[in-house]
Amino acid sequence: MKNEQIPQKFDRRTVLKTAAAAGVMQIASPFVVPAWTADNVKMGMVDPLTGVYAAPAGNEVIGAKYAVEQINAKGGILGRQVELLVEDSANDVGTGVQKARKLIERDNVNFIIGDVNSGIAAAIAQVTAEKKVLHIVSGGHTDSITGKDCHWNVYRVCNTTRMEANSVSDLLYSKYGKKWHFITPDYAFGHTLYDACAANLKKLGGTVTGNELTPLGTTDFSAYLIKAKAANPDVLLLLVQGSDMINCLKQIVQFGLDKQIHVAGTQQELESLAGLPPEARIGIWMFEWYWKQPGVPHVAEFVAEMRKRNGGKVPTARHWFGYVSAMTFALVANQQKTLDAVKLAQALGDFELPPEVKLQPNKVYYRKGDHQLMTSAFVGEAVSKGKDDPEDLYRVDSVVPGDKTAPSVADTGCEVKWPA
Amino acid sequence: MTQLLLFNITNGLIIGAFYVLMALGLSLILNLSNVINFAHGGFLVLGGYIAYTITPYVGFWGGLLIAPPLTALIGLTVERILIRPLYGRDPLYSLLLTFGLAFIIEDGTRFIWGAQGKPVTVPAFLAKPLSIDFFFITGYRLFMVAVVAVTVTLLFAFLRYTRIGVRIRAGTLDLETVSALGINVRALRSLNFAAGIFLAGLSGVLAAGQLGLEPTMGTGLLMPSFIAIIVGGVGSLTGTLLGGLLIGVASGLTAVFFPAASEAVIYVMMAVVLLIRPRGLLGEEGMMST
Repeated sequence: MKNEQIPQKFDRRTVLKTAAAAGVMQIASPFVVPAWTADNVKMGMVDPLTGVYAAPAGNEVIGAKYAVEQINAKGGILGRQVELLVEDSANDVGTGVQKARKLIERDNVNFIIGDVNSGIAAAIAQVTAEKKVLHIVSGGHTDSITGKDCHWNVYRVCNTTRMEANSVSDLLYSKYGKKWHFITPDYAFGHTLYDACAANLKKLGGTVTGNELTPLGTTDFSAYLIKAKAANPDVLLLLVQGSDMINCLKQIVQFGLDKQIHVAGTQQELESLAGLPPEARIGIWMFEWYWKQPGVPHVAEFVAEMRKRNGGKVPTARHWFGYVSAMTFALVANQQKTLDAVKLAQALGDFELPPEVKLQPNKVYYRKGDHQLMTSAFVGEAVSKGKDDPEDLYRVDSVVPGDKTAPSVADTGCEVKWPA
Repeated sequence: MTQLLLFNITNGLIIGAFYVLMALGLSLILNLSNVINFAHGGFLVLGGYIAYTITPYVGFWGGLLIAPPLTALIGLTVERILIRPLYGRDPLYSLLLTFGLAFIIEDGTRFIWGAQGKPVTVPAFLAKPLSIDFFFITGYRLFMVAVVAVTVTLLFAFLRYTRIGVRIRAGTLDLETVSALGINVRALRSLNFAAGIFLAGLSGVLAAGQLGLEPTMGTGLLMPSFIAIIVGGVGSLTGTLLGGLLIGVASGLTAVFFPAASEAVIYVMMAVVLLIRPRGLLGEEGMMST
């Protein structure tokens, strides 16, 4: 009789071997390193292509790839073609750092872009500062990256959490009231965003009725929403993002809480609104970039080109982050005619983006004192269904310049120390 | 505070009911085939996406009825091609295979349907809370609990009163003897695996109405299912049912006092059970031998 009839029982050694195998699987890279040409200028990109932030991260990569196409079509950087090498941080700090090191030490990239996850972005910044590689944080929002933990070689495209909080606080207070309850993701981004919102609320004279810290990847928010309801706030601010935002908003609407408490937040993204059923597309938010900007130069062309590369869908703020990050390297390197990280980092201080890259009405530049891009906040409200376009899920009410929402350089706590 | 506690206990039972459905599928496969199906969360996601894809043609109810059997069919194919050759070998082989399969399914769904979440709408009459006070008890959640209750009842009745069910139960105790009696053990295992995946598919359809449908949806739901089995007892379906409800309630209660630990508490429960009673609350002695 064949042995397959008699199942073997598990023993402790099997369990231990399994755990070891699972551990090895975590750090083994499944990606094949693409062939590269020694003459190419290489940009490395680290983003969480798997996990709760996979959708925004994937869109950043698409934006960066389009930028590289454009750069190469115009002759590349210093006459050399540009190659984009993308690695998956898997939404894990250790993996992100490992991938950044691999890109710098093994692949010899000239620039680094990344990460969507603030914690990973901050960790990668330590590596790029150590290795003296120019680094643009495309989508990690926590204040410290261009605040108390700023580095000479690190610039950031997306808003800081302070900028996000500043863009909506006054409006929410005047429109909804002074008792705010928060649903906050329990990591760097969430903590600093909450701190910024709470500080603004205190200045305005309001009170925090509670702050529910939720682990990243939470699927069921009912316990937190029960507590939020019991606190009887005027407005429930959702600081969660990605899949967490989708789950939370769906459950709020299913519970009918939106009919009892105003629902709003700071950062909202088209990826999340698109993943929600129409009845759950509610609330006042800020977008960091929006595709529908009638009359603003070059936006329509950008949207048309991105649709071709994005399965017919419009670009989101994440596409724009990736695009701007890659274009910035090309613009400053071609202007300075060098790839030297220190020279380029110095040249980026107060560097203004041209209209075909900034793609918004206000002046957009990298502020010298803290290396933060002064990009606008698109404040408005979610709409359940687009009127003229099924992807027009947000109504922009005002576009606030970045230097109006950003705190002063002194307030950020950033002191850039340049290498000798 | 009393009201808050009662609310969270009730909420925990509702969540626990969902874990029960997932965990029973896992337990069925583990008990008879000795396969720890790490891809169970992946099959849950597949069930959700299949329902999403066919809903425009057959409606929500059609999706609920058709998606789980379709998922089971996929599970049957996987069992026949990938898992059957590994029976009788070191259980680590099937564990690693299903671990890799989980990644393949996740990336596959991302490739086919995209990384962006898909909007899933439930029938309007279900998407309402019971009352303003009991807002967290929505029609959809009650419907979920009802589906779980009916499914569990049918499953237990199937295992107790049907010939195949009796053979499955006998097989979990002594597969060699069952085989010696002339029962087609291969077919029995395949059917059992398909039944487990049917439950995963059904879980996916139900979850999609409550959560955002995206490729990583199953990851966060898989570990509680394993813990429900360990807490309730490996080898005992009744134990799995109890374990699922217990961890749901524990998680809900912890959220009242220490929200940051509401997910960690189920791992603490698992550790305590393993230390004090390794076979689980209703498990059989010897299922985890040294």
